[in-house]
Amino acid sequence: MFGGFLQDLRYGARMLLKSPTYTAIAIAALALSIGANTAVFSAVNTLLLRPLPLKDLDRLVFSVALREGFDPFGSSLLEFEAYRQRNHSFESIGVAMQRSFNLIGRGEPERIRGALIMADYLTTLGVNPILGRSLTLEEDQPGGPAVAMMGYGLWQKHFGGDTRVIGEKLNLEGRSYTVIGVMPPGFDLPEAAEIWLPLQTKIDSLPLTDRAVPGYEVVAKLRPGVSLRQADAESKSIARQLEQEFPQVRRGWGVKLIWLRQELLGDLAGRVNKALVALIGGVGFLLLICCANVANLQLARGFARTRELALRRALGASRSRLIRQLLTESMLLALLGGAAGLVLAHWIVPLLAAINPIQGISLAGFFHNFRIDSRVLAFALLVTLATGVIFGLLPALKGAGEREVMPSLKQGDQHSASAPGHGWLNVLIVSEIAIAMTLLVAGGLIARSFNRLQHVDLGFKSDNLLTVKMILPASKYSEYRQRIAFVDQVLERVKILPGVLSAGTTTNIPLEREIAYDSVFSVEGRPPVNPNDVPITSHRLVSPDYLKTLGVTLIKGRLIDETDRAGKPPVVVISEELAREAWPGEDPLGKRIKRVRPNQDFLWMTVVGVVKDVKEDLFNYRINRPVWYVPYAQLENNFPVNLVVRTSSDPARVIAAVREAIHAVDPDQPVSNVMTMNENLAGVLVTERFSAILMNALGASGLLLAALGLYGVMAYSVSQRTAEIGVRVALGAQRIHVLQLILSQGAKLTLLGVVIGVAAAWALTRLLGGLLFEVNATDPATFLSISLLLVSIALIACFLPARRALSVDPVIALRAE
Amino acid sequence: MNNGSDPLIRLSSVTKVFLTDEVETHALSGIHLDIRPGEYMSIAGPSGCGKTTLLSILGLLDTPSDGSYSLKGHEVANLSFADRARIRNREIGFIFQSFNLIGDLTVFENVELPLTYRGMAASERKSFVTEALDRVGMAHRAKHLPSQLSGGQQQRVAVARALAGRPAILLADEPTGNLDSRNGEAVMQLLKELHENGATICMVTHDERFAQHADRTVHLFDGRVVEDRMAA
Ligand SMILES: Nc1ncnc2c1ncn2[C@@H]1O[C@H](COP(=O)(O)OP(=O)(O)O)[C@@H](O)[C@H]1O
Ligand SMILES: [Mg+2]
Repeated sequence: MFGGFLQDLRYGARMLLKSPTYTAIAIAALALSIGANTAVFSAVNTLLLRPLPLKDLDRLVFSVALREGFDPFGSSLLEFEAYRQRNHSFESIGVAMQRSFNLIGRGEPERIRGALIMADYLTTLGVNPILGRSLTLEEDQPGGPAVAMMGYGLWQKHFGGDTRVIGEKLNLEGRSYTVIGVMPPGFDLPEAAEIWLPLQTKIDSLPLTDRAVPGYEVVAKLRPGVSLRQADAESKSIARQLEQEFPQVRRGWGVKLIWLRQELLGDLAGRVNKALVALIGGVGFLLLICCANVANLQLARGFARTRELALRRALGASRSRLIRQLLTESMLLALLGGAAGLVLAHWIVPLLAAINPIQGISLAGFFHNFRIDSRVLAFALLVTLATGVIFGLLPALKGAGEREVMPSLKQGDQHSASAPGHGWLNVLIVSEIAIAMTLLVAGGLIARSFNRLQHVDLGFKSDNLLTVKMILPASKYSEYRQRIAFVDQVLERVKILPGVLSAGTTTNIPLEREIAYDSVFSVEGRPPVNPNDVPITSHRLVSPDYLKTLGVTLIKGRLIDETDRAGKPPVVVISEELAREAWPGEDPLGKRIKRVRPNQDFLWMTVVGVVKDVKEDLFNYRINRPVWYVPYAQLENNFPVNLVVRTSSDPARVIAAVREAIHAVDPDQPVSNVMTMNENLAGVLVTERFSAILMNALGASGLLLAALGLYGVMAYSVSQRTAEIGVRVALGAQRIHVLQLILSQGAKLTLLGVVIGVAAAWALTRLLGGLLFEVNATDPATFLSISLLLVSIALIACFLPARRALSVDPVIALRAE
Repeated sequence: MNNGSDPLIRLSSVTKVFLTDEVETHALSGIHLDIRPGEYMSIAGPSGCGKTTLLSILGLLDTPSDGSYSLKGHEVANLSFADRARIRNREIGFIFQSFNLIGDLTVFENVELPLTYRGMAASERKSFVTEALDRVGMAHRAKHLPSQLSGGQQQRVAVARALAGRPAILLADEPTGNLDSRNGEAVMQLLKELHENGATICMVTHDERFAQHADRTVHLFDGRVVEDRMAA
């Protein structure tokens, strides 16, 4: 038995070597599709499957707050507290709030990402310090001790991994904290934190508005046996209770539980998941095309081998013996293709990692490390074997079953394109074209959608802008006029730097991945249009000249300028969307609007200008959210100060000078996230870019394979029809007639494939719905242009065999036996 | 017709040399041949003597290495592919040893094929095809596929295809070679009738019995005409 196998193997190898062109084409096609499958799976593996340094990851969930018409928000303490008291689905629950700190006294002042956490946060995640200890409940009380836990990287950087770090002091924002623990390497939740301080808040004693701020990250561990769905249902009912209990802050809010892993991908809306599913579908389709392609090659070659196989049958080989022989050959081919595919994947994987689709910044060491591990290898092997069976089975059955006896030379040999088995070639090639069509349409739609997203009007001019982040320590800038003075002095110095056109400050850089400040607003003389609505606007406090620097488009009125100072009448510049929501159909200029927070009274602000909508909010990129710009000097706040500088040429050139100018005002002031606006924007559409690039790469590969397959079938057909073509030429066919003959055969197959492909794409692209932006899943322009593309490529693929048909020597009509 | 009329075809000093693997094969050497309208000529000779080569040159499927060939008084040596195809289509009807019907096309479509290449209108094609099929007695099989016919019937369809376009000359290369003797006889009878109705025929055969049907027999040997004899 085993000897028979070795014999099959040897014979199979010899057969493959005997037709090297066929073997090379088949291996190339297999390598392409197995390589693509492996590479995409390595992304899926990294993003969705591989273990993370968190315990019981498959039970960890994340709660997001929802508002009709918005992408998801973080959670509020109100929700956290309600979950803690009322929820039965959770085994434990924790909360954290992202916060950055200025680390002082250890070299250059440095901005460090960190978090305020409750003790439960770490226990819920199942993370223990590798050195020292965790927070205790006692420490996590208002007025508790100033203690901190630090990340492994920070420990290595500032203490060289010295274990005596426990008990050392860290100066954060001018306050001294005692280090109590060091976290394991790689752990940096939430939001790439490197330092953790106790939240030290008694939730019940906080004002309701503070409790309602959706700026927290709530993680929970499900009880064993509780599904995400059950937990989600329970959380939703709790959210409804909250809505009834606190309508003034909860109206219109709901919640949703998602897996923590999904949150870590920065994917609150579930787009990464959808994109990956679409891509898995895509590579699966590519694999099918490849199988059809290789099966076709095998079949075509099988006809050429008919005599050999018939002879083997005549010599007594059983049908199953022949099937085994042919399958062995297919497997050998598949394994060779699989090996080549692994090599290819080895190349592609780093490219995929380079266009990593995730916006999450935590656990970067895990999520950005796309690689071929044992799981990916196992997948590749599985795909390879499955491929071998799929593409090998049909030719094996046909090869072993057809023409039981030696084909006797039939009297009056027919010149015919429809010899037995050719039907299968046509079926396979039509399927290839149809699948390629589906893939290309999916790719086309996603690319179109990506293009739309890329060309969304940002509302500002992103070229030649430099952005710099600064947090003014509360200890040093305790009085608001000190903050204003700092801003004024920095701007004064920066504006006169060579190469700088203008400069301004804002509390949030547009589309940055940070906590973005919002505000509830109220319109003078008007109750909210919808009683269930708590109207919210993006809330930006800006210096004079900021709007000019950003390059917004003024629709009417004026921008904020030097006259809008403390003590002057309060003014505000609003976006079109805010104008629409606050004063539908009316002129907003001169009307008044104000910020609303319970227990706090704000002044009415007069609208002095309306600007075109600005994309301020990263997570609501796809919609136009209302935004207002309030003069920094007129509304006291302790938000970060972000410097935005417009330059005459490459903004990178002024970085050093800008740093110098800031340090001239305050040598201790940390400066972070110095980057151009365009660098900042590059992070916005990563998921979309990833799926656009990949889906189109898959589509192109599918097209290539289908074209190759069509070429192969047509070339085979031409070789089979040589005698017929000779007769036709002998009878006086002109070149055009011969071309027509071949091209129309190819065109028929192509058109059939395109028609089926259009129908399939029509049915399947609906599934892409959630991934598309301003593009319909049945966008006629995409369907049409892809059909044309496919037909043109197909005609080119047919043209080469057709040209070969032209060179047929009609003398063969006389000489054919 | 008299023997003094202008020849339909005139070959003078035609040679054909094949070069394979640096070996020259002189398939034809210095052939002089006139074929007059209405003649029924048979070409005979042992296998490999150049019969098919001669026929392929006559049929413009191949070009002579040297010498000249004029058809209806026109030199055809330097014609373009398109012109040669047009002449094959209009002036020449082929009958092949292996019939060479196209398996995907019906009998009617096979016969129609050369007329289609000529660009003839459909209605005219239909009458030409019907007439040709009538003449070979195959009109009742017009809708059949070649595979549904016997060898003899297929060859009759092939004859119909050759004559449908009313060519100046019919060229046949061993038209009975793939037929049993009864069917072969029938096809020969058909060619004879066509000849009696005025067709010019040039037929290769090595079967002495069939050669007798012709009124002139040319014997080839080693690429040369060794005998050119009119029937008694
Ligand atoms: N394409 C070719 N290349 C080389 N030699 C050829 C070719 N065609 C025919 N011949 C040679 O020319 C000679 C005449 O062949 P052919 O005309 O077929 O003879 P016949 O039809 O009388 O049997 C033979 O020796 C044959 O081998
Ligand atoms: Mg011959």
